[in-house]
Amino acid sequence: MTSHTPPHPGCPPALQHPGSTQGHPAPPVPLPGSALGVSGERRYRGEGEIGGLGGVPNPSPPPPKNPHPSPPPPSTEYRVTYGNKPVWLGYRRNHKGAIPPQRTRKACLRKGKPVGNPCPICRDRNLHVDFRNVKLLNQFICPHSGVVFHPTHTGVCMKQHKLLTKAIEQAQDHGLLWLQVPYVPVPRDDFSNQHPAVGKTPPAPVLAPGRPWYPWYEWQPPPAAAVARMRRLYKDYLKEETAPPAAGTPPDNPSTPSVEHRGE
Amino acid sequence: MAALGAWGSAVAPARLSRVARALWAWRARRCLGQDAGAADGGKAAKPSFADEAVQNLLYKMTGLNLQKVFRPVKKELKPPKYKLMTEAQLEEATRKAIEEAKEKLIMPPVLNEREPIDDVLAEDKFLEGTESTKYVFTDLTYSIPHRERFIVVREPNGVLRKATWEERDRMIQIFFPKEGRRVIPPVIFKDEHLVTVFQQDRHEDILNMCIAQFEPDSPDYIRVHHRTYDDIEKHAKYDLLRSTRHFGGMVWYLVNKKKTDGLLIDMIHRDLLDDTTSLITLYHMVHPECQSAKEAKEGKLQGVDLIKVFVKTESQKEGYIQLALQAYEEAMATSTAS
Repeated sequence: MTSHTPPHPGCPPALQHPGSTQGHPAPPVPLPGSALGVSGERRYRGEGEIGGLGGVPNPSPPPPKNPHPSPPPPSTEYRVTYGNKPVWLGYRRNHKGAIPPQRTRKACLRKGKPVGNPCPICRDRNLHVDFRNVKLLNQFICPHSGVVFHPTHTGVCMKQHKLLTKAIEQAQDHGLLWLQVPYVPVPRDDFSNQHPAVGKTPPAPVLAPGRPWYPWYEWQPPPAAAVARMRRLYKDYLKEETAPPAAGTPPDNPSTPSVEHRGE
Repeated sequence: MAALGAWGSAVAPARLSRVARALWAWRARRCLGQDAGAADGGKAAKPSFADEAVQNLLYKMTGLNLQKVFRPVKKELKPPKYKLMTEAQLEEATRKAIEEAKEKLIMPPVLNEREPIDDVLAEDKFLEGTESTKYVFTDLTYSIPHRERFIVVREPNGVLRKATWEERDRMIQIFFPKEGRRVIPPVIFKDEHLVTVFQQDRHEDILNMCIAQFEPDSPDYIRVHHRTYDDIEKHAKYDLLRSTRHFGGMVWYLVNKKKTDGLLIDMIHRDLLDDTTSLITLYHMVHPECQSAKEAKEGKLQGVDLIKVFVKTESQKEGYIQLALQAYEEAMATSTAS
């Protein structure tokens, strides 16, 4: 976008009206026509080529509508105020002494009241710092090195600088602003996914459906020797029983306090 | 560096650096999982992206434009450095530049989508109700490769399962951060925002970001690459990727989808007949059962005849390709005549 900016600052490309970030009914951006010089036919959205594809297993869906259509050109008011220069050019900070403090003021609106000599963004109520407002954000990025200007260079207050940095990062995330992509060399891992950490491991046989994970999750019949021992110990207190309970089924215990059975 | 202009044209040295060859051979051995799906009943196994022959063809088609590979990028401004060199030193420097460029042009792997992980290791029902959140246990041993790292999740209902691929990627990025990768992938990789990027002609940038962010076999990586290639093919912006490491992957995708016509026309317009023949050879390797492959094998055709046979049988835009061929031949005739 700004690849051909002349080297000296203060000559950015034509600016938009920065106040128009809200839903302006701008016409959708027409898809750039086919660059093929030979094939002059219209390309319809969602159709890859003429002649039909026939049998393509997964045709890509038609591309979604552009969520960020191009904004309207700058208004007359903006041009009269700023012309072609960036918004912060010509702003002069007020400070004691020759060397300006290394940080600008914290905020231009203190307890609802504006300070004297507010910063370039706070002094114009039509300038909105938003990630969609790319042309305003571009004025605060160096066209040669791609870094955000320090607030002492542009004169904005610290609060606006924070908002600006956040908006620039958001715009870069959405693809509206250019971003320096670091060179990452091609990964050289083993992509066969055979290692049990990432591959299929056969489940433990205990995990078959119907089987409990621990045997003691389900009721197990007690060993016969223990039952016999208990009977011998308490034979004087045993109630009359018609028949011993069938082996393998848990006995009914209506009188014992209710124990929450896990998994029931 | 005006003398570099001599190397600026698409000269593709057939010999590859030892490093690149070693990498490909290593990858071909390792990616057995991909090659295991051999064509059942076919005469030869279906060629995969990592085969030597395929890689050679793709490398030739990519070209080596040093001006593009080493183009200036936006970075911190420093005063320029000037060096005074003899012819021999200049040639040595150019040779080193070509070696470095070959390193940069190593193609990222093209893999199938990974199988989802859904293995359950244990079901401890007595833990149900004790915790309200999931716990992720990551093995933090430093010296094991990330693909051999065990990452398991204990759910609140007591089930101990292996972490899914997304959870794995997130955990590994948290504990072993990699440059250029974020824990949560940025919004730019969603389809609606890819449109914005494509309109700015930043296909190479988005592919580089994709390589930094995702693993080569993740579904997001494959989806972003396919969208990019589809957009390039739709608008015929093939030149954006020439002399980059992504050109090989794009050609492979187009050949597999049989959408090579636009690329053919572009190559003929730029007078790259060798690339056209390599493309058609690759097509025949990947689709040996097609008509033009059989005819080419019988007739052992070369050069323009091969293109003509291919155009007659396989392409959908015959008229355009033949027009382009005619224009090329006329240009050749006039240039040889004059």
